[in-house]
Amino acid sequence: MSTIRANSPAAYWLAAPAALWMLAAVVVPTLLLVWVSFWGGRAFSTASPLTFDNYLRFFSNQAYLGLVAATFGQALLLMAITGTLGYCIAYFMTMKVSNARWRTALFLAFIIPFWTSTLIRAIAWVPFLGVNGVINQALIGLGLTTKPVEAFLYSMTGVTMAQVSLYTMLAAGPVVYMLTSIQPALREAAMTLKATPFTVWRRITFPLTLPGVVIGQVLVFLNVMSDFATVATIGGNKHALLGNLVLNFYEGSQIRFAAVVAVLLMVCMLAGVALALRVVDIRKLGT
Amino acid sequence: MPDGTLLQARPAARRKAQRFGHKFRSRLTGWVLGTVTLLFLLYQWLPIFTLGLLSFSGPTGGTTFPMNGVSLHWYRELWDASIMNDFKPPLGRSFVLALACSATTVVLSVMAAQAVRGRFRGNGLFFYLLLLGIMAPGILVGFGFALLMRLLGVDPAWDSTAFVLHVTYTLPFGFLTMLAVFNRFDSRLEEAALTLGASRWTTFRRVTLPIVLPGVIGAGLFGFSLSYDEYPRSLFTTGADLTLPLAVMAQLDRQLTPELYAIGTATTVFSFVAIGIFTFAFWAMRQSLRGRQP
Repeated sequence: MSTIRANSPAAYWLAAPAALWMLAAVVVPTLLLVWVSFWGGRAFSTASPLTFDNYLRFFSNQAYLGLVAATFGQALLLMAITGTLGYCIAYFMTMKVSNARWRTALFLAFIIPFWTSTLIRAIAWVPFLGVNGVINQALIGLGLTTKPVEAFLYSMTGVTMAQVSLYTMLAAGPVVYMLTSIQPALREAAMTLKATPFTVWRRITFPLTLPGVVIGQVLVFLNVMSDFATVATIGGNKHALLGNLVLNFYEGSQIRFAAVVAVLLMVCMLAGVALALRVVDIRKLGT
Repeated sequence: MPDGTLLQARPAARRKAQRFGHKFRSRLTGWVLGTVTLLFLLYQWLPIFTLGLLSFSGPTGGTTFPMNGVSLHWYRELWDASIMNDFKPPLGRSFVLALACSATTVVLSVMAAQAVRGRFRGNGLFFYLLLLGIMAPGILVGFGFALLMRLLGVDPAWDSTAFVLHVTYTLPFGFLTMLAVFNRFDSRLEEAALTLGASRWTTFRRVTLPIVLPGVIGAGLFGFSLSYDEYPRSLFTTGADLTLPLAVMAQLDRQLTPELYAIGTATTVFSFVAIGIFTFAFWAMRQSLRGRQP
């Protein structure tokens, strides 16, 4: 017995506002994008004839295909870096820090930036990366180089550096959640049976945290695939990923092409999520 | 690795050496991982601190070191700004919008989580529908919603279209928070009130709500901070009157000056204050709940 009966009509009334909100503002617009991407003609109207021309024009352009590959490459790179880094950090904070106060302090230092503006945090990298930036000043000061390295600002290296600082939290968070829900008895049993620490990790800890790793990877994948703000802030106008292409077409009033790129982006992301869901079942997480 | 003779000759010593080896290796792992963690924290925080430091550079200071003196020059510029780069109206809009999103998120996410407790048919689908708000990237939802509004002939504005879209992002976070809180909720407390003849509504108001209130505050914090900092969804749906992140980005496109660092520092500090207030409310709520228990 609780304040709500199972299957009572009240539940439907409580769920309706949120469900309608999400349907109207997320599901319908997404379906609309798919429809618009098939529009022919020039006018922005629902009477437009349907055609594959927009897609054909996209796929016949080598530069755009290169951009798809570059976006995937960037996502995979970030997944590898933040996955490794995030796992190390999550493992250290939950398993190696025994002092509760220190652990809370580390957690806070780790997650507080998540509550501040991503945009500002991306901009904060700009004074670091320029030709006269902090990194170059440090390199010259240490005598490691005599000429400033120009590879940071307005380059994908700089974008990657900033994205690592923005997205590692996403990769680590779910792992922390899974690590804290492992019963200590499981690991102790293995250790009593003389398994080496590495074997304990490989055979017990890692398989149990795998769902967390996959969820984290999905979050990083989705965020990097659709990230255009970091690329625009640090990459300047010289570099672009699929997200920037959507924006460029949109600002150039080429709505149909923007929709095509958006749909392709969506398909890529859905494929990634579907692949991940074959590895773990998200719904089993709570239990 | 212990060599062969040691292995055969003295099993006890071998076991001891092995145990020592494990302990040592475990300690070593701890140190290595700890160094990685600390280096990452440094990596994460250093740009934020640098931004703050550079915002206090002198009037002739550029966008990087040297600072050419220490002054409040760039904050004063920010305050006396011309209409073109005046950040005060966008700040006001972002603040009001974030408050509205926070309130909406709280109400809708408590309702949605309470509904899921009722295990109605289709609650699995409902869960995924809400999760879609986190999974669907801002650029796609924003673009699609802008097209929908154009078809319907609605002009985009920060207090109408942008508000609707922000809530689709903040609501799932609040919903997940409330689900987690209700998962740990002891429903025997509700049973006690109901057996004593309280109505369901009274029980919810007088028993359930006060206990889950810390979670409600968490949902409110998500609603506020995610909306306050939202950029991609605002970009397509805000119209002519910009919100703060849009104004910052517009200024970055025009020219990068330490003024931008000043506004960055100011909003970051503001975010910290907001987190602080919510955390304090959370803590105070927990304390008062603990105080009431016998």
